[in-house]
Formats: sequence, C-alpha cells, structure tokens
Amino acid sequence: MNLQNFIQNFASLFEETDSNLIVAETNFKQLDEWSSLMALSTIAMIDEEYNIQIKGDDIRNACTVADLFNVVESMK
Amino acid sequence: MNCDTLTGYGITLKRLTEDKIELVRRWRNNPKISKFMEFRDYITAEMQLAWFQKINNDQNYYYIIVFEGEEIGLINIRDVDRINGTGEPGMFIWEDKYLNSDISFRAAFTLLDFVFNELKLKKVIIHVLSNNKRAIKFNKALGYRLSENQEGIYNQEYTLTSSIYEQFKNKIIKYLQV
Repeated sequence: MNLQNFIQNFASLFEETDSNLIVAETNFKQLDEWSSLMALSTIAMIDEEYNIQIKGDDIRNACTVADLFNVVESMK
Repeated sequence: MNCDTLTGYGITLKRLTEDKIELVRRWRNNPKISKFMEFRDYITAEMQLAWFQKINNDQNYYYIIVFEGEEIGLINIRDVDRINGTGEPGMFIWEDKYLNSDISFRAAFTLLDFVFNELKLKKVIIHVLSNNKRAIKFNKALGYRLSENQEGIYNQEYTLTSSIYEQFKNKIIKYLQV
C-alpha cells in the first residue's frame, strides 16, 4: 500500500469530481460531491481494498486524504 | 411498545417533547436547514407550539437524534396510516461535524427498523427536492426508488418497501461498526 495507490482508489469513488483535484492535501470534506454515501463508500473501499475496518470517527477526525491514508497505515 | 426512546447502530433517538421544540425551531429556521425544505417561511414560537400539538400523537413520531450525548438533529415518521401501512419519514442533521457522515445512515436505520418492525408499515414515502443531489443519493442507497410519473417535478416522491429496505440495509450495516 502506498499513498499514490490510496489516492487513486479514493478518487475512483467520485463520479463528478475531477480526479486531478484529489491529492494528498485535498480537504475532501470540502468537495461538493462529498456526502454521507461517500463516507460510507470510503469505509467500504478501505475494507475491500486493504481489509481494514475504519470507523465513522476516523473519517470525521480526518481532514485530508493523507490523514485518511495515515489512519489506514496505522491500522495495518 | 415503548416509542419514547429508540436505540441502535450507536445512535439514540429521543421522542420530541415540548421542552425541545424551541431547539428544533432554532434549527429549522436556519437557512442551512430550511433551504432543503419545501416550507421556508419563518416559524414563530406560536407556530411551533401549534405544530407540536398537531404532531404529538400516534400518527407522528418525531425524534431528536442523539450521538455520544449530543443532540445533533431531527428524524421523524409522519402521517402514519395504519390501514394502508404507509408513512413519510424525514431527517435533518444540524451539527456540521456530523453532516455527510455515517451518522445519517445510523439514524435512518434506527428509525426505519422501528417503522417496519414495530409500526409494521408496508412502505414509506418521502419527498425530495430534485436539486438535492446528496439527499437523492443517500435515499437511493437506503433502497428508495423514484415513484412513477415524477419526472419534471420539483418535489419528487420516492418509495421504499420493507423488503427492499432489508436487502439494502444488509449490504450496508457491516460498514457501520459501533
């Protein structure tokens, strides 16, 4: 698992957002497309791709994509 | 059946009581909430009390959403029709930190379990403004489908049946660790 791969997987969840806008420093909750469903899809993607179960709190406490990546890294 | 407090999925729903209607009025009058509502006029204290007296019965169940001891929003099932087995749910999250998070699913599941398992309704109907993309995606994830002949309508009707709800919920709950 590396950051670039994680960003790619995360960006693939978005249907309407330009994937170039999603980088490590992106404050993902500020994106127009961010929603309850996106939060759930993120939890599902991390479970399916990395076999790691994060919680809603982990997303609430993260600001950037890199923060999310660090949560997943810390749970490996 | 005790309907005053519903719990599940890490969430508590507390039935709306008169001492909380001013809190709800403050939330409901804020443009960040009212912009998603069909009725957007300013709600006075008198209007709120009249509304509460109209809904405080067994055809309407309004709950304050409580998460980790904090009152964060409102969820309801209204116009419960026990003969036809229908009702209309609604929800809003007031606290910004819980907006666009798993909390909406937790609250919706807690309410819909009550609706289908305790009230024994067959289907529920919601109305969503056609420009509220987030709400549409959220409700579709719960299994709601656009009712017939709704194309081109601003406030569109969606329907969810008990069996479809169970199918969709079972796909999602594994991602909602308490």
